[in-house]
Formats: sequence, C-alpha cells, structure tokens
Amino acid sequence: MVGPRLGFIGLGAMGRPMAGHLLAGGYSLAVWARRQATAQPLVEAGATLCATPAELARRSDIVFTMVTTGADVEQVLFGPEGLGEGLAPGALLIDMSTIAPGHARRLATRLTAQGVDMLDAPVSGGAAGAGAATLAIMVGGQSTALERARPLFNRLGKTLVHVGDHGAGQVAKACNQVVMVGFIAAVAEALHLAQAAGADPARVCQALAGGSAGSRVLEVFGGRMAARDFTAGVEARLHHKDYAILMGEAQRLGVPLPVSGQVWQQLNALMAKGGGSDDTSSLLRVLEGHDRGAR
Amino acid sequence: MKIGFIGLGIMGRPMALNLVKGGHAVTVWTRRAESMRPLLDAGASAAASPAALARVVDVAISMVADAPDVEQVMLGEQGVVAAHKPGLVAVDMSTILPAAARDIAARLHAQGVDFLDAPVSGGEIGAIAATLSIMVGGSEAAFAKARPAFDCMGQNIVHVGDRGAGQVAKAANQIVTGVGVLTVAEALNFAAKNGVDPAKVREALLGGFAYSKILENHGQRMLDRNFKPGFKSWMHQKDMNIVMQSAHELGLCLPVSAVTAQMFNAMVGTGLGEEDSIAVLKLLERLSGGED
Repeated sequence: MVGPRLGFIGLGAMGRPMAGHLLAGGYSLAVWARRQATAQPLVEAGATLCATPAELARRSDIVFTMVTTGADVEQVLFGPEGLGEGLAPGALLIDMSTIAPGHARRLATRLTAQGVDMLDAPVSGGAAGAGAATLAIMVGGQSTALERARPLFNRLGKTLVHVGDHGAGQVAKACNQVVMVGFIAAVAEALHLAQAAGADPARVCQALAGGSAGSRVLEVFGGRMAARDFTAGVEARLHHKDYAILMGEAQRLGVPLPVSGQVWQQLNALMAKGGGSDDTSSLLRVLEGHDRGAR
Repeated sequence: MKIGFIGLGIMGRPMALNLVKGGHAVTVWTRRAESMRPLLDAGASAAASPAALARVVDVAISMVADAPDVEQVMLGEQGVVAAHKPGLVAVDMSTILPAAARDIAARLHAQGVDFLDAPVSGGEIGAIAATLSIMVGGSEAAFAKARPAFDCMGQNIVHVGDRGAGQVAKAANQIVTGVGVLTVAEALNFAAKNGVDPAKVREALLGGFAYSKILENHGQRMLDRNFKPGFKSWMHQKDMNIVMQSAHELGLCLPVSAVTAQMFNAMVGTGLGEEDSIAVLKLLERLSGGED
C-alpha cells in the first residue's frame, strides 16, 4: 500500500467506479454504504468495509463523499456515528456531491474548527465520465489541501480546476448545470421542431454537429433523443434537484436567470409526468406532451 | 377578547391598533421594545416574551418577516408554546411557505395549540383602513374563535381550507399580482416606446377585458412615476420564491411566474429592492434602451 489511507462514502452510479479507480491506484481504501450489498464489488477488489462512517473516518487520512443532497452530506458528516466523530485533526474531507455553495461553506467552517480540511469538488461527466476517469473536477478550498489531493483527483478525472476558496467548486458546478441543462432543453426544442416540420431528427443532429450549434450536449443528448433512448444517462431528478440549488442562489443574490427559470419549469413538468428516473433528454417528451393535449 | 400581537412592523402596527380600536384587550411583544410604544400609548399592554404573552391571551397573532421568525416566536424557547393558556389559538398572518405553515401547525398541535395560517393581501393601506383580504387555513373551530379579531383587521375574510390552505391562496394571490404588475408595466412601456400616450392607453384599456385593479391603481402610480412603497420589490421577490419553491416540490410548470420571479431578482440585484414593485417599469425601460 502507498500514500494516504483513503475512505469513500457514496457508492452509487458515480461513486462506485470512482472508488474503484482509487483502489486500482494501489491505495488502501475503506468504504461504508447504507446498504452493505452496494459495497460488495469493492470489498471483493480489496476494500475494507466499515460498520459506520465514524469508524471509516478513524482509519482514513482522506475521506471522499459522493452522495445525492446537502442533507445526505450533513447526515454522513454530523449525523450519529458520522464522519465528524472520527476525523482526526489534519484529516482532509473531499465532498464531490453537488450541493449549495453556502452549505459547502458552512460545512468547511465547521470542519476547520476541528482541525479538518475540506474541499468541495463536484464533478461533471456523468457515469460514463466516472467509469472512464475523464471527469471534469471543480475544486473550492485551500491550495495546500488541493495539492495533497491532486494525485487522487488525477486518477478520477481529466480536467482539474482550482476555482477558488470554499464553495467556489459548487458555484462552478451550478454554472455547469445552467449551460448543460439549458443546452439539453434547446436541443429538445430544436429536434421537436424538426420532427413537426417533417425532418428526420437524427439527420438534423448530424447537420448541426458540423456548425456553430455543435456541442457535446447535441452529440450525446441529441443522439439519445433521435434514437428515442430515454433510459438514464443522467437521471432527470438529479438535474431537477440541482436547479433548486442554482435558482436559490440566483434569488439570494438578486441575479436574474430568465432562461434557466424556464428550463426549471420544463424540469418540473418532466417530474410531474413521472419522468424523474429517465434521462434528461426526455425533456423532448414534455414538449411532445403539449401536442397530445392539443389533439 | 384577549388578543396577543407579535411583530409591529409596517403591517403589524396598524393591524394591532385596529384590534385595540375594536375594543379588544391587546397585549403586544416585539424584539425591539421601542416598536411597542405606539401600541402602549393606545392602551395595549406589553409582554416580556411571546411565552408571557401566550399565558394571558385567547388568540396569539404573529406578523413577522419569514418562516424562521414564525418558528422562533411560536416554537422557540420563549415562544408561544412554552407557556400558553389552555385552548389558545395561534394565528400567523405572515407570508411563508405553505409547507412551513403545515409543519408549524403540526408541531403546535402536538403541544395542544390550535393554529391558523392567515396571510393577508391589501398592503399598508389595507392594514390601516382595516380592509385587508385575509386567507385562512386551519380548523373550523379555531377559525370561529379568531373570527372577531379578523373582523377588526379586514373585510374579505375567507376560510380557504385546512392547514396551509391560507398560504396556498396567498401564493396564488402573489402569482396574479406579480404577473399583473409586470404585464401592466409591459403594456404601458410598449405604448410609450411606440410614441403613444400611456395614460390614454390605460384609460382605454380600463373599459375592456384588460381591466383590473392593478391596471387601475398600479398603472396610475406608474404614470405618476410614484415608486414609493407600498409593497417593496424585495418582499414580492421573497413571495415569488415561495411560489417557485412550492412548484419545484410539487412538479408544477409555472413558466410565466418563473419569468416574473427572475424580473424581481433583477430588481433586487440592481438596487430597486426598496422601491415599490411597480418599479419593474424602470427595469423594462432600461432593458428597452431607455433611462429612469
């Protein structure tokens, strides 16, 4: 075993391959999961299963969390038997979940008070990026902490940017979602128009890819829309959750986001039709739903 | 009836004064003791805490800024729940998230206190003139008990439904007024930029299906360029945030409200937050290449 002892909590579609990359790098890795079965593949690959987050923290120098909401992070950190009870002074906590920037700052303050460093390091790239270790990682926190974690980040992603102080990684992630989901909504509208006007959406996608409208979203999500493959991908409920965060920031700061406000409403409509577990490309089906109503 | 009143701001002060005028024995509490002065001069008594107030009244009313304040005065250590008279009805007339109102109602109920959410519409003018619209959620029995207090403060008093229903009605009210103000501002700006007298356009529209109180009252204030609040933009922004949060939780598509909420964000961000919400006209003028 080499280097720092690592811990990882949150072994979902993103977390599991990420933890696997760390383990494959030769690090000692402790894991904890609410449902032990989730951890099984990693345990078989050599990870140590812990009974509680506190136990995991006691045997780790650097702990990663990759869970769904701010409340989940709060729970594994400061809930009963939480990480906070086991993290020693000098330890480093890296939260890679997507949560509100203000929440990340509050957690950092609380951990700093007990001598623990924190980085907020949300990612973009989805399960595919996690599997291929090509994630974009957006980091907020102290440079010294980032330098400590850099070799680990390098095993998880391709782009690593130190955006700024605590919370800055989450700000960048919110901006990422504004652009990405805004693009998905735009591509859905374009292909909906194409279809209604009698043009083949796949051909339109192909044509657009060569010009100024070319983007990764057009390629990936446009492709899914054209193929009518709406299985996740990125579960739309996660983007929906992220919009509550970013629109909350806009409200708090007095920043108008008129286009994002509309995208948010389309996501609400998608949730209402029970599409939360589908890929966000199913925003196309929300638009098609309007037509059905009109007929 | 013995009535307690917590929160004596722009709205709360005239509302409490109207309760005194109505012949009720009013006890007040506020965070800053000097805010109580006008009420004490009018014959109200002061309490040392919300708990002390709750000990001596039949109905305890709060009129504060937001949900955490309501929680504090109702459920805090020195809150209404700490030492209340048996049978006390707690009434919150602030505008808060319906889900928060339901939560507070359930927690108070568990401690034997009946709760009504009873937000109002009508602004400072309505509060002074005792012509507020009051939208009430909660039990029939609690509503009947608080009714004499409502009668002193408002005119259009509707028991909308169960817990939280008053706040739902208020959120719906803010959708209509928020979108309405924005719509009237767009129409008058449209007229002006087309070189047509907006006053004449307003007058013409008043006779048709575009008639509304907002076109009449807010429209006139836009023409007068009287941006003094009234109802401050930052408060309407707060209320639209309640609307949009509720829509998010329920999976509701509110595209028009969403635009309106963003316009209010822009107002707060560009320093118009302390002006009346009709100052959205200034924002539209700026966006259309004009000046204030």
